[in-house]
Amino acid sequence: MNSRSREPSKPVRPIYPGQPAPREPVTELEEIRHLLLRREQKQLRDVQAHLADKGQRAHDVSSVLPQAIKISSGRNGELTNALRPTIEGAIRDSIDRRPEVFIDALHPIIGSVVRRSIAESLRNLLQSFNQTLEHTFSWQGLKWRFEGWRTGRSFAEVVMLRSLVYRVEQLFMIHRETSLALLHVSADAGPGQDADMMAGMLSAIQDFARDSFQTGSDAALEEFRVGELQVWIAPGRHAYLAAVIRGNPPRELRTLLEETIESVHLTKASALAIFQGDAAGFESLRPELEACLRAQYDKSKSAGARKGKVPFVLAAVLGLIVAALIVGFRRQERWDNFITQLDEQPGITVTQARHGWIKKSRIAGLRDPLATDPEEIARKAKLNPAGIQFDWKDYQALDPSLVLQRFRAAYPPPATVDAALDQGVLKLTGSAAYDWIVPVREGAPKIAGIVSVADEQLKIAYPPQPVLQRFSARFGLPDGIHATIGAKKTLILEGEASHAWLAQVRVGAKEIPGIDEIDDREVIDLDSQTFKETKSVIESAFIYFLVDKDNFATEGFAALSRLPDQIRRCLDSAKRLGYAPVIEIQGHADAVGGGARNVDLSQRRAAAVQTFLVACGFDPHFFRVLGLGAPAVAGVAVPEQSDRRAEFKVVLNPGPTTP
Amino acid sequence: MIQKKVCLLGTSGVGKTSLVAQFVHSMFSEKYLTTVGVKIDKKNLRVGEEDVTLMIWDLAGDDDFQRLQTSYLRGTSGFLFVADGTRAVTLDLLIELKARVETSMGAAPFILALNKADLAAQWEIDEARIAGLATEGWHVIKTSAKEGEHVEEAFAELAHRMLN
Repeated sequence: MNSRSREPSKPVRPIYPGQPAPREPVTELEEIRHLLLRREQKQLRDVQAHLADKGQRAHDVSSVLPQAIKISSGRNGELTNALRPTIEGAIRDSIDRRPEVFIDALHPIIGSVVRRSIAESLRNLLQSFNQTLEHTFSWQGLKWRFEGWRTGRSFAEVVMLRSLVYRVEQLFMIHRETSLALLHVSADAGPGQDADMMAGMLSAIQDFARDSFQTGSDAALEEFRVGELQVWIAPGRHAYLAAVIRGNPPRELRTLLEETIESVHLTKASALAIFQGDAAGFESLRPELEACLRAQYDKSKSAGARKGKVPFVLAAVLGLIVAALIVGFRRQERWDNFITQLDEQPGITVTQARHGWIKKSRIAGLRDPLATDPEEIARKAKLNPAGIQFDWKDYQALDPSLVLQRFRAAYPPPATVDAALDQGVLKLTGSAAYDWIVPVREGAPKIAGIVSVADEQLKIAYPPQPVLQRFSARFGLPDGIHATIGAKKTLILEGEASHAWLAQVRVGAKEIPGIDEIDDREVIDLDSQTFKETKSVIESAFIYFLVDKDNFATEGFAALSRLPDQIRRCLDSAKRLGYAPVIEIQGHADAVGGGARNVDLSQRRAAAVQTFLVACGFDPHFFRVLGLGAPAVAGVAVPEQSDRRAEFKVVLNPGPTTP
Repeated sequence: MIQKKVCLLGTSGVGKTSLVAQFVHSMFSEKYLTTVGVKIDKKNLRVGEEDVTLMIWDLAGDDDFQRLQTSYLRGTSGFLFVADGTRAVTLDLLIELKARVETSMGAAPFILALNKADLAAQWEIDEARIAGLATEGWHVIKTSAKEGEHVEEAFAELAHRMLN
């Protein structure tokens, strides 16, 4: 089309008859030829010029190339095979030189390709998982499990083999002339049998078959079967494919194998023809061969038949049994835990435990009343206490914690006391009031589990009130006495008290715990006071007598009659003070009269006083009668009434001179 | 990795199979020899800088009982001929066999192993005959399958000849 459009620009000179033209042929023949073939010659020249012009030719090819490729691609893929090495080389070269171009170009699609690939893998995985699940509880599945156990294969492998329609397991490409393996691909990863030797033997067997049955060199063994395996051979001129197939492959597989070996011959024809033992050049065919490793599984076989009711019911029953076993196991586990916990409790000894699956469970044993409530333990172990019948017999446990608990119940200790039990010895530390420890010392060893009490480390306190209570309980507290506890455990007494009480207190008060000293300076001894007072009254009394007589004068008698009460009080108080006093009655006479007469008179006067006092009820031995006569006078004796008297002296004999 | 097909040839009882038994990687049992007429073994060795795998086709002995299947010889790169040094007749038969093989296959590198070198007392093939063979282009190696003598050497020599 383009050439036509160019025509007008190329001037063609017109030639007329009889008119000589430049570069005209000189011979006639030439002229005739020129006349006859002028148009064709020109066309030929044009065509030659056209062909010589490379650019023009490229132009022409480019115009028909798309259609040519379209036509060619319909013919068995020859064009594809022819172009493949070039295109592959170009792509590889391009990737080597400028990988970023390919990365940019592939980037938009690579993500979705990867996603699809992953989705496909997951789908396959899911399918295999589904199959496995379906077979797990079915009758067929059990059979296959048994088979797996018998043959040493995994269950998955047996499932796969049994639901397999066919699978191309290995593919050998073998050089026909040398019988050497050109390439070997296998569906299973890992080392298989030695491909080289297999290839050799496969060739040998083919030769053997051919020779044995004398079928001629072109005939070939096409397939043979060994148990579950069969070997299909797809022949080619220089090489052939041997496919090891498990199961029953469809005929299409043969077509695939034949197409593959043809394609191999197209791409590697010369390499195959001159093959001398180096198979490295055929490695590039691996993807093509791997494409032949096909497999097909029978979904209906693997999924359909075994969906019956029996396996389902079996699965359900099995499921129920498993669930019941799990529940039962967990219940038993809880029960065992509970019994263990119970038995570990201080104060609880389980002698009998029966786990009732339907009836009530029963536990019997010994239980200290102080021990933890078993129902509480049951609740903590997630058991219902209502479902357990407890039969406990009371006993006193000797577990230290329970012994201490018992001790605390009997003698609630103050917060300042720490109690511990060591081999039956109750050790008390800290501090406590005396009134708490006293009963503990006595009573604690009577508690089961306590042999003795060790309180040497216990600091004992003495609060005043209980000390005073103990004091008054022991000695009584007279009305006139006020008692307090001062520093250094000193009992301070104030007021007045009898001598006897005081003496008792002085002797005994320190025996009272909490009293170390006694301060009684502020206490008046009532007996001592009475004694002093009455003694003074008695000794200051004068009993006057009539002149020269032992009869009392009036005022003398009055004085005397006042004395018995005083004497009684004096004697009583002296007695209480521990004295045994004697009252001397001293009789006196005035100076008138003679000396002997006066002595007698004074004696009689003293005796008269004694007689009076004895008459008043006093024991005579309390008195000592003395006649002291008259006072010695110088000159003429004057009758003095004051001399006609009797007087007293309280003599303490024996005993201290003064109270 | 270069692979080469090698055929092991010799009449019955010269000890072909025993000769290679302990030097090759074997996968098939000897009963193939009597059934299929061939047993294929494999031997890896290094010649100079090159790793070579020899696929050794141990062919059943050619005698009255079993005819050599010549189709097994196709594509071979070399021959390891074996004769029994204590029986000169095996060498005679071998020379005939070699001629027959070369007629159908064409010439190929080869080695002659004169086996049973350990039985020197019963040796029937004299040095003069061996020298004569050498002048005709035979490479002769005395081997002992029993002692394992010179077997590796025979394989190496053959591989060397095939590669050059």
